[in-house]
Formats: sequence, C-alpha cells, structure tokens
Amino acid sequence: MIQVTREERHWFLRNMAQALVDYTSAAEPPVPVEELLKHPPAAYQEDFGVVDMYSNLWDATFARPPGQRGSIFVRVDLDPKERRHALARETLSAMITSKQGRSMGLAELLMSDLKDSAEYFASQLLAPEPMLQAYRSGGGSEARFTDAFQLPGPMAASRW
Amino acid sequence: MSMKSLNQLVARSIIDPAVVMAFRSGRIGDVLAELDFTPDLRQQLEGIESASWAEFAVLSYRYVKAAEKPVARIQLPSPLTGLIDDQAQASEEQVA
Repeated sequence: MIQVTREERHWFLRNMAQALVDYTSAAEPPVPVEELLKHPPAAYQEDFGVVDMYSNLWDATFARPPGQRGSIFVRVDLDPKERRHALARETLSAMITSKQGRSMGLAELLMSDLKDSAEYFASQLLAPEPMLQAYRSGGGSEARFTDAFQLPGPMAASRW
Repeated sequence: MSMKSLNQLVARSIIDPAVVMAFRSGRIGDVLAELDFTPDLRQQLEGIESASWAEFAVLSYRYVKAAEKPVARIQLPSPLTGLIDDQAQASEEQVA
C-alpha cells in the first residue's frame, strides 16, 4: 500500500460515511445509525448487527463469531448518545473486515491508524458535512447541536 | 466538478460491489465514462496502476486535486514600464 496522508485518509472516510448516510435517506439529523445496522445495505448483510450485552469492559466492540454474522456488541446501559457514538465508531471495523471491505483493500488503508480513523468516521457518520451545513444555514445553534444530532458532548464540541 | 464525481464514485463503491468488480476486472473505464470527468483526467485515472480499489481511490484523489488547483497568475510587468523615464516616475510616486 502506498503512503497515505491523514488528509487523504479522512477524505476516503468522509465518502464512506456519506455512502451510508445516503443509504438511510436521512434528510435531517439525527442519522438513524441503529436502524442502519439493523437494516444494512446488501453488501453488509453478513456484517452489520447489534447485540446488547452486560459488561463493564467496553462501551462496544465489533466481533465476528466463526461462521456467523458479525455484530457490534454494545453495553446495554449506555447513555443513548454514547451508544450512538460507540455504534458509529465500531461500524468502521465491521466494514473493514467485511467481504466488501476486504475486496476494496480497506484494511491496508485504515488499519494502521484505526483509532483515529474510527473516531473520524463516527463523527462524519453522525454529523455528515452537508447535514451540518444545512443545520448552520438554517440558523441551528451550537447550544442545540448536541441534541439535534444526538451527539455526546465532546464529539459535538470537536465537530462544531 | 471532478472532485464531486470522484466523491460520488467512492461513495457508490462502498455499497455497490459492481464498482469494485469493474475495477478488478480492468473495466473501471466503463464506470468512469458515466461520470463527469474531463477526457484528459479520465484517461489519467484509467492509467493508474494500483494494488487495490482503496489505493486507486487515493491516487485518483491526488490526480483530481492536482487538476483542480488554480493556475498561478502570471506576473506581467506594468505596461507603463519603459514608457516613462525614471525621473518622471520617481516624481509621480513622490506626488502620490
């Protein structure tokens, strides 16, 4: 794999996130992340799923049990905004390890900076640029941004 | 427009396996022809050699970005240069 800059990687991730947002047909926030995972595009039928779990170890993690559909295992007691963030972040791992992701070569592009990639991807999936611009131009305020897009506070602050 | 087309192509490739299949079978030119790239740029993109679709996408991004960079303005000398003698020019500047 060629050397890729952070800016180039982020450009690719923005397009990945936008593809999923377009698939949901969401015209305004919040982006229905959990619905997307429960009713994924055909290319990710075997990779997207949500399983609630009782755990104190992680907020969420993607896993693919041998011979089974991949799923994001998410803590059942998370705050709803934290849950959306965790699901959005782990969606990237589901995509990278999917058949479609492997055929695209996503692992080679994204695995070396997975943490940064996953956080950036989540921020773009939950607050895609066109939706954010529409919110701003419609007079949406920073104070209501976190509720309008259903983002955790720190992500809202960095995304605004 | 080209970057918008490239964004559309990459986004489509994320959920449509047909794009990656076309790339892997050497038919990416057919897909590029459906999009709004200039003939020159399309030819450049078709000529990219890459190990994977993701690598192709990043290399395409570099080509498209380079093609969209504004051409640097050429700094031409003032048409007055050489028509006014140095002394007159100096006194004009002093008045200004």
